[in-house]
Amino acid sequence: MSSPAVQLRSRVASIGEAAVERARLTVVPRARVRAPRIPFVTLVSVVLLGGVIGLLMFNTSMQQASFYAGDLEERATTMAAREQTLRRELDALRSPQRIAEQAQRMGMVVPAAPAFLGLDGTVTGTPTPAVPDDALQLTRRPDAKPAHLNPPATIVEVPATPPATAQAAPAAGVAKAKRR
Amino acid sequence: MLRLRLGFVVIAMVLSVFGARLVQLQGIDPKAYAKMAAAEGVVEVVLPAERGDILDRNGVPLADSVAGKMVVADPKMTHDDANDLARLLATELGVDYFSTLEKLREDDSRFEYVARRVPSTQATDVVAQVDALGFKGITTREDPVRDYPADEVAANVLGFMGTDEALGGFERTFDAHLAGTDGHARYTEGRGYRVPLGENSTIGAVDGSPLRTTIDRDLQWFSEKVLQETLDSYRAGSGAVVVLDTRTGETLALADGPTFDPNHPLDFPKDDLGSRALNEPYEPGSVQKVLTVASLIDAGKVTARTKIKVPPSLDRQDRSIGDWFPHGDIKLTLAGVIAKSSNIGTVLAADAFTPPQLTDYLEQFGLGARTDVGVRGETRGILTSGGAMTSQTKDRVAFGQSLSVNTLQMAAAVNTIANGGVRIDPSLVRGRAVTDDGTEVGTDTATERRVVSEKAAHQTMLMMERVVDDEVGVAPAAQVPGYRVAGKTGTAQRVDPECGCYDGSNSVSFAGFAPADDPRFTVYVVVHDPKVDGGGGSIGGPAFSRIMGYALGRYRVPPTGTRPSRLPVEW
Repeated sequence: MSSPAVQLRSRVASIGEAAVERARLTVVPRARVRAPRIPFVTLVSVVLLGGVIGLLMFNTSMQQASFYAGDLEERATTMAAREQTLRRELDALRSPQRIAEQAQRMGMVVPAAPAFLGLDGTVTGTPTPAVPDDALQLTRRPDAKPAHLNPPATIVEVPATPPATAQAAPAAGVAKAKRR
Repeated sequence: MLRLRLGFVVIAMVLSVFGARLVQLQGIDPKAYAKMAAAEGVVEVVLPAERGDILDRNGVPLADSVAGKMVVADPKMTHDDANDLARLLATELGVDYFSTLEKLREDDSRFEYVARRVPSTQATDVVAQVDALGFKGITTREDPVRDYPADEVAANVLGFMGTDEALGGFERTFDAHLAGTDGHARYTEGRGYRVPLGENSTIGAVDGSPLRTTIDRDLQWFSEKVLQETLDSYRAGSGAVVVLDTRTGETLALADGPTFDPNHPLDFPKDDLGSRALNEPYEPGSVQKVLTVASLIDAGKVTARTKIKVPPSLDRQDRSIGDWFPHGDIKLTLAGVIAKSSNIGTVLAADAFTPPQLTDYLEQFGLGARTDVGVRGETRGILTSGGAMTSQTKDRVAFGQSLSVNTLQMAAAVNTIANGGVRIDPSLVRGRAVTDDGTEVGTDTATERRVVSEKAAHQTMLMMERVVDDEVGVAPAAQVPGYRVAGKTGTAQRVDPECGCYDGSNSVSFAGFAPADDPRFTVYVVVHDPKVDGGGGSIGGPAFSRIMGYALGRYRVPPTGTRPSRLPVEW
């Protein structure tokens, strides 16, 4: 009957002792861990340097791109201008006036009226041959000269019957005068 | 201790100087400084809007804009090399040497125009040459050039451009439509390149819209050539040709002569720069008889076979009316009156009308009212109102004197007969466009109205066919081989605007349509003041025939193959 009580007491004492033992604090020597500085400094420097260099390179590349864009733009402008020049030349070549002049030099004229040839050989309309008279006057005629620069032709009336004395030779002379 | 104090004093002094400067910069006029800072390296350029093209009915450009440049000089930099530069610029750009020299030496100026509207490649070449020679201060800027690729074609309708503004014709009338809005760009520049991340803002240019006309460029060109040839052959003062699409009223050609080259408008007389066809009224002469007769038939007063006894001359209240050809008492049908173009016969037939009846019809035909196709300064012509018209005036109006018209008005009136009695408004612009005075014009706004019955129009057509008949008509030269042609000649005395009297010169004309029984085109040729004797048939007829023949071929209109009218002309 007493033995369990003794047992309990001794157990309590032993726990208490351990607790006391544990609770007794002692001063521990300060452990000074010196973190190595160099990696950090390097890291910061690298980040900083990387940032600066990166920014510089980014800026340079942007500038480079701007140069490139500028050059390309200039090329585009030049080529657009060239294209327009060519287009103008083409327009000049296509101008109805030029085509007509060239065609007329080659002997082509605009017919007075069209005639139509059906697939079955029927002809509608009146086919009329194109003649040189159909040619258009393509340039304005120069203005008429003022009267004093364009005196009227002198007309010499020659008697129809040559004088009896001269026979053959004067006849030729008459013909000449008439021609003039 | 003393050193420290002295140090503080020095620092305080320096800081107060900074402070004062700060107040000066930020307090007194911060904006001016901000502006100066911004201006450093910032350039502002105008992005010119491209002016809209003026196109023909098939989309071929009659006027277009091409990239161009202005060449500008900075006299501060060019002052010393002015002589060499001026010589180079004068040879390359064709500018005046002396005025250029002056500009390059201008004091107190940093911007002078050397040349405007230079084709882009030419301007760039010049600047490249200037650079190669080591000169400075010549630069270029955008400055689009207006180009008229077909030169004179349709010039009188298109108008022309000055250096900065539209000066005439469609260019001016539809300027708001064509011009567009310029844009701006602002950016920081270094050595000619944009600085990235610098100031950069762009407001794009809004290009002008193209204007599509109803003109057919090739037909217009052909009409102009035929007109010019006619004017030259008959030494005429001026003339006009109108080609209308009968069914739609679209103006396929509106030729004026003499014309000009819109690329060099200053080389031509000022009088030639407008459109005489629409600006100058004239008396139409006998072409008018067609309208009188169609009205009379529509009103049921006469028919094509009405018999009229035509005396040698007709004495009316104040004067006697004669015919252009001497004759005794002749017996003409109404068809004969038209075929022979008898004034007396027309007056006798028109006796069935009171003046208001006649003018009502003529107003319906569109006389006395502007066609409003978009051409500037169009005349409305003169048509005395019916109430104020005396019977003598009515007599003369019946055969085309004592009233005046413009060319397009008259062409549209004759086209009414061609179109079966329905007048359709003529138009020059496809779709719709707004003129500078706010009028809406174009094919979309064109309206139709019946003027005379289809039967009346048909009978008038049959009579007009007799005009070009070899035996009975006065204008066989207007025939188009293989086609039925209906037409009418006109010869009228011309009024001198100064004295208001007839000055002895004539206006001769020919109006007609083909194929007569299914018309596709109405062509009207007017020649003013020919110095060589001739009438509407002999002068206008051949021109009409050529233009009509070309138009029929160009639009592949086959002959109808029916027999022409055989209406009797005498009884």
